[in-house]
Amino acid sequence: MNDGRDVVIRCRGVVKAFENGRLRALDGVDLDIGAGEFVAIMGPSGCGKSTLLNLISALDQPDDGEIEVAGHDLRSHRHLNHFRARDIGLVFQLDNLLPGLTVRENVEVPMYGQGLSARQRHARAMQLLSFVGIEDRAAARPPELSGGERQRVAIARALANGPGVILADEPTGRLDSATSGKVLDLLESLRRNQGATVVVVTHDPAVAARADRVIRMLDGRVVEDGSNPRPAVPAAPDARP
Amino acid sequence: MGFAQLVLRNLLRARVRSGLTLVGISLGITTIVALGVITAGFKSTAGAFVQSGGADFMVAQEGAADMSFSTIPETVVPQIAAVSGVAAARGALFHFTRAGSNPLFLLLGVTPGDLAADGPPLVEGRYLADGATDEIVLGAQGATDLNVRVGDALTIDDRVFHVVGVVQSDVLWEQSGALAPLVTVQEIANRREAVSVVHITLASGTKRDEVARRIEDEVPGVVSIVTADDIGKIDSGFQLLDAANVAISGLAIVIGGIGVMNTMVMSIFERTREIGVLRAVGWSGWRVLRMILLEALMLCFAAAVAGSFLGLLAVQAVMRIPSVRGFLEPSYEPNVFVQAFIVAIVVALVGAVYPAIRATRLTPMEALRYE
Repeated sequence: MNDGRDVVIRCRGVVKAFENGRLRALDGVDLDIGAGEFVAIMGPSGCGKSTLLNLISALDQPDDGEIEVAGHDLRSHRHLNHFRARDIGLVFQLDNLLPGLTVRENVEVPMYGQGLSARQRHARAMQLLSFVGIEDRAAARPPELSGGERQRVAIARALANGPGVILADEPTGRLDSATSGKVLDLLESLRRNQGATVVVVTHDPAVAARADRVIRMLDGRVVEDGSNPRPAVPAAPDARP
Repeated sequence: MGFAQLVLRNLLRARVRSGLTLVGISLGITTIVALGVITAGFKSTAGAFVQSGGADFMVAQEGAADMSFSTIPETVVPQIAAVSGVAAARGALFHFTRAGSNPLFLLLGVTPGDLAADGPPLVEGRYLADGATDEIVLGAQGATDLNVRVGDALTIDDRVFHVVGVVQSDVLWEQSGALAPLVTVQEIANRREAVSVVHITLASGTKRDEVARRIEDEVPGVVSIVTADDIGKIDSGFQLLDAANVAISGLAIVIGGIGVMNTMVMSIFERTREIGVLRAVGWSGWRVLRMILLEALMLCFAAAVAGSFLGLLAVQAVMRIPSVRGFLEPSYEPNVFVQAFIVAIVVALVGAVYPAIRATRLTPMEALRYE
């Protein structure tokens, strides 16, 4: 159910099992997500929502089924690193920033191998840090940042190569509600200002309330998929780089 | 930030571990450089002796274990001189003995006529007189070390010599030693009617290699020493030094390689999750592999630089020993340092290949799940 938009993420009969097949994390998931949608995938722990996100981001391979993202069939894609670098941006629950690098250098990491000079990487990283409102912390190291600041750096890093799809796994899982709101504002502005497709895995109803569409999962299946009658959202400052 | 800078940052994160690994590898490199410089110096010093007195090459006893042990009957010298293409053949007898504080003082027995004809230039005094048995001519360094001058008496092996001249020689052993009548040195060394080596001067228009071969064919029991590398034919010490150098290089590769591997494996285990992040944000396995190999190469390059420097210091320290200073002159040949850097590169590759391959074989998900 994607309101007739161009489909950016298509899953058909996706199956993924762990522990030698004993634990079926995904059990035939069918899903279409359109361009520019802000989708929340919800469900209790162990329902398969993070596993689905890992498969969509090509971090893992399905046991069966088809996944197509941004026009790439992930089963036959020979250069998944290119796909991960250019077509998607990942935001992890644990920000997964590299502690030995500065904030700016962390944002530069995905840009290696993309044909940019060191000077261009530097300029692009500063532009993205400005976009997420944290350019004054560019020289700091991740351990010196608050949880909200780290997550904003993670979002800047996800945007490094200008991907059309942002995939976020519990991006506000460890944040207080005020900081969560700012991170969600950022994700929402990406969709609104840049036309990015944003998929957020969450178990937090407050996060889901900000999405256009909510997909509920249970025991490895999609059990509910519908548009979200959410209240009007205060506009985030347009900080597009 | 450039890629190399990123790699350097990784190394500097674990300064103590990287530093200790660097010290371990650089000690191996130190040994390689010091031994290489000394070996090359020994060869070049001995090589200079081959052409002593303007000789074209030298002949020694075939199968001798050491140049100083080489024994050629004095009667063979005229036979060698009679070989076609030989203009002159001059016998000389080695006798290493203690003089002053130097336990490796070379007393070289020569005939006074040969010394007068082809000897090193005099700085002071005169050459040996014909028929004299108690005269001695010192090399300039030898005279300085022993603190003697022309006209002084000098006792060597309980024998009193009168210093009649001081020469300036390009051959270190002569410069730091002394030249005495052959008969006297034969008596002191208890090697009567024998010489250690015969220096050959070619007749004009003859080819060195041809004459050298002809001497070996026509005179039984001798071998021609044309270059410094040929000294290995009669001096197993040279072969031992070369073998020791190869063995130490091999050991340095094995020990250094294990050290680097230990460091890199530890580092990769600790950073498994980070490698997962790098793969997740689009780094290829090849880029991760390059990062790890470059880390090891940087570490080993720094160790090669530090080790080379320490090696040079070690050589300087060894050269402060008087007996060594009079016996060999260090030779800083580029190939010694090239060898050290090649060993360092091999150490890096040996040590980094396993952790690098292990890191690239991890899927992003496996790496991200690693605790």
